[in-house]
Amino acid sequence: MLTVLSDYLDNIRDNLRLDRSSEKEVIQELETHIEEEVKELRESGLSEEDAADTCLTLLGSAKVVARQIYEAHSQGSWTQALLAATPHLLFGLLFALNWWRGVGWLLGMLALILIMAVYGWWRGKPAWLFPWLGYSLLPVVVAALLLLYLPKSWSWVAILFYLPIALWLLYAITVRTIKRDWLYTSLMLLPLPTIAGWFLAIEPVNQLPDDWLQRMQDFAPWIGLTFLALGVTVATFIRLRRRWLRVSVLVVSGLITLTMVAYYTEGRISILAFLILMVVMLLVLLSPALVERTLRHSG
Amino acid sequence: MAKKNELIKGSIDSLLLCVIVQQPMYGYQIIKELERRSQGYFKFKEGTLYPALHRLEKAGLARGEWQTLPNGRQRRYYHITEKGMNSLAAKRGQWLDFITAMNLIIQPVSE
Repeated sequence: MLTVLSDYLDNIRDNLRLDRSSEKEVIQELETHIEEEVKELRESGLSEEDAADTCLTLLGSAKVVARQIYEAHSQGSWTQALLAATPHLLFGLLFALNWWRGVGWLLGMLALILIMAVYGWWRGKPAWLFPWLGYSLLPVVVAALLLLYLPKSWSWVAILFYLPIALWLLYAITVRTIKRDWLYTSLMLLPLPTIAGWFLAIEPVNQLPDDWLQRMQDFAPWIGLTFLALGVTVATFIRLRRRWLRVSVLVVSGLITLTMVAYYTEGRISILAFLILMVVMLLVLLSPALVERTLRHSG
Repeated sequence: MAKKNELIKGSIDSLLLCVIVQQPMYGYQIIKELERRSQGYFKFKEGTLYPALHRLEKAGLARGEWQTLPNGRQRRYYHITEKGMNSLAAKRGQWLDFITAMNLIIQPVSE
């Protein structure tokens, strides 16, 4: 096959953003189409180069074809939407129904999240996996934050041993997710700004655990509500076909949930902290697109 | 030309179902068949055919199946499903009603 034709197929592959098996089928189908069309054009008397050029003109822009095929495949079923929203809904219920203080509930939920994340990862990384994957990484982040509250000498041990391993794990999973589709990384990281917002709102200034627990208790219904809102966002995301709509839903959801955190905590988050959180939210949700571009250019 | 393409775009699903209802066909064959049966009227960007076929498959109106030819090449043949048959029957009825009504209005009134 001429370079111009294989470049065309590579361009489509780069913009498809489908799972491996669907991508392989689409490319194989288009490859067969190209081979048959070029063969027929050559039989009509065109040179190999002219036949290739005519074939590509008839097929149209690789980016447009890839986008349209993506839109044909991207919409998930209602079952997938519910499955994707479930970890947010469970997290929301954990607070709304005050189960967060029960160790049994927490361990049960953690086990379920890990099982679903591992199952989805080995089943071809379907779209519903990524919210589960995000929550499965949460204990890694929480453990890193809690280690900072250890006595000073222990904190250094944590920084030297735990943080590099935790950062490597987060990096490896994030990069592999970006390679699948950067939007799924944003989907995976979606609760992060909201969690950071709640952490800032309830963080103990004087390091007293009782204060912290009391604040958690006070805000629990509102924490639950923000996570239920994230569940609705994710279900909507799965049901949408167009990428720009999916991006918009994630950003709007980030704006709404952070505003809810600021509103319900009645001034515990300063305007400056709120603005910083907004910037962090935009960075968390949109920077995977830049990382994807960098990864592609570096081959 | 742009208006013609818009018309084709709006009817592409029905056109594809009309073609594969006769026999299962692969992408390139569908394009040639559409061109032949419409006497060259239905010529569109070939790349838009595959998104439409995949959309039909996702909606359960068509089913794609790989077949290996004696020369080792693989082709994906599209079969119409039961749901596709029902959808086509409904769309055919709508089209015929539409064309009848259009003819009644477009034809010049004889005095």
